[in-house]
Amino acid sequence: MKYAFFPGCTMAYRLQFAEKSIRMITPKFDIDLVDLPFTCCPEPNAVRAMSDDTWVTFAARNIALAEAEGLDILTACAGCHESLSLAKHELDENKERRNKVNEILKGLGLEYKGSSKIIHVHQLLFDEIGVETLTSLVTRPIPIKVVTHSGCHLLRPERILHVDDAEVPVKLDLLCEALGMEPLEYMDKTMCCGAGVRKTNSVTSYAVLREKMTSMQMVEPDAIVVFCPTCFITFESGQKVTNRIFGTDFKFPVFYYTELLAVAMGLPETDLLLNEHRVKLDLPESEEKGEQAEVDLGDSVASSP
Amino acid sequence: MADEIQNTRLDNLKETARPCFQCGICTSSCPVFRVAPELNPRVSVDSIITKGEVPREGNEWLCAYCLMCDQRCPMGVSLAEILMEIKNIAALEGKAPPDVIDSAESLMEDGCLSPVSSRSEKKRSELGLPDLPKANPKDVQKLFKATGALEVLEINKAAQEEDKE
Repeated sequence: MKYAFFPGCTMAYRLQFAEKSIRMITPKFDIDLVDLPFTCCPEPNAVRAMSDDTWVTFAARNIALAEAEGLDILTACAGCHESLSLAKHELDENKERRNKVNEILKGLGLEYKGSSKIIHVHQLLFDEIGVETLTSLVTRPIPIKVVTHSGCHLLRPERILHVDDAEVPVKLDLLCEALGMEPLEYMDKTMCCGAGVRKTNSVTSYAVLREKMTSMQMVEPDAIVVFCPTCFITFESGQKVTNRIFGTDFKFPVFYYTELLAVAMGLPETDLLLNEHRVKLDLPESEEKGEQAEVDLGDSVASSP
Repeated sequence: MADEIQNTRLDNLKETARPCFQCGICTSSCPVFRVAPELNPRVSVDSIITKGEVPREGNEWLCAYCLMCDQRCPMGVSLAEILMEIKNIAALEGKAPPDVIDSAESLMEDGCLSPVSSRSEKKRSELGLPDLPKANPKDVQKLFKATGALEVLEINKAAQEEDKE
């Protein structure tokens, strides 16, 4: 299988090790990632707040690039996923708007057709590959207690995204369980991390983060697992700022899910990823050291370029 | 012309907000309201349905766009989209906050909101990540202009200058 890979600005330039973990695991499932000259998705809050037309047109250009290659898009950031999916929905439902956008894209030699699907790594792992396959590949189980945070922009609007139940998300918990982790329930599981308002009003943003992390702290997890680079940075770096502003004492390790998957599959060089973390957590070594996961899904459809 | 566009936008907003019966589940679900009660989606919508006016206090810029209000509205009103449209209208009047203007400028210059620095590029090569192909800056600027963002940006920069004086 081959996808146009959309890491997004935040992952590509601020959370490179998370991108690395995705590029480490995908070949094990016979998935090729193709890089295209995408722009920012664009970010679903600031750019769109200024001009909805600009937002929808930039998103349309990104999707049209993948369509021109005949590829579906694989997103890695919740924000990018939402932005591209919402724009796609708008362009597929609203003919007049699509025509207007295509008038502009014509000047770039592109056309939005609506032929490419947009899926997030979360969906690739849960819906396409499945928990059972993942479980069967684990050579180095990770016996830690975690709280998961799927990210607002993977869950809502539920009527368009269909990634998981927006009020009771369970899929990321099941993905964690597959690797030997124990996911814990907590009160404000579907609450925002606060990132969306950080630039406009940082104290408000960190106050939201304080509420969120207080709820996480109550159940005493070893780590937080996320599926969005923006949420990752908000939790990992933001907890320090929150401590400084509000006198809290958060010090949680944070993981992007595929980092833990790479570790659990016993892939080489995962220390490269874990060394990049600001709050570190020693993960137990494998019982059968040196054994690496052999994956053969049998029906490879893609060949490496 | 500009007024006409704004009036059409307000009419559309009224139509979108019409089913709202002010139950307030949006506000009680809002994570920002919990810590900064000046953002109140119910009150923003109330201004539109009862006064027929776009709220002018600028509180909608505090919305984190988490869409919890949208998820829970029993009448299927997309509160987050209404707040987004209020912000679009305010931006056309030169009232976008500085960070939004900065984001728009980065998009126009780099096609990207997280600054691409030599440090961030170095980290990519250290980790053995590929160089990512970049969009043609001319294409980016073409889109920016054709979709009206350049105009909105100029309106807001002029307003910023005026505020300074």
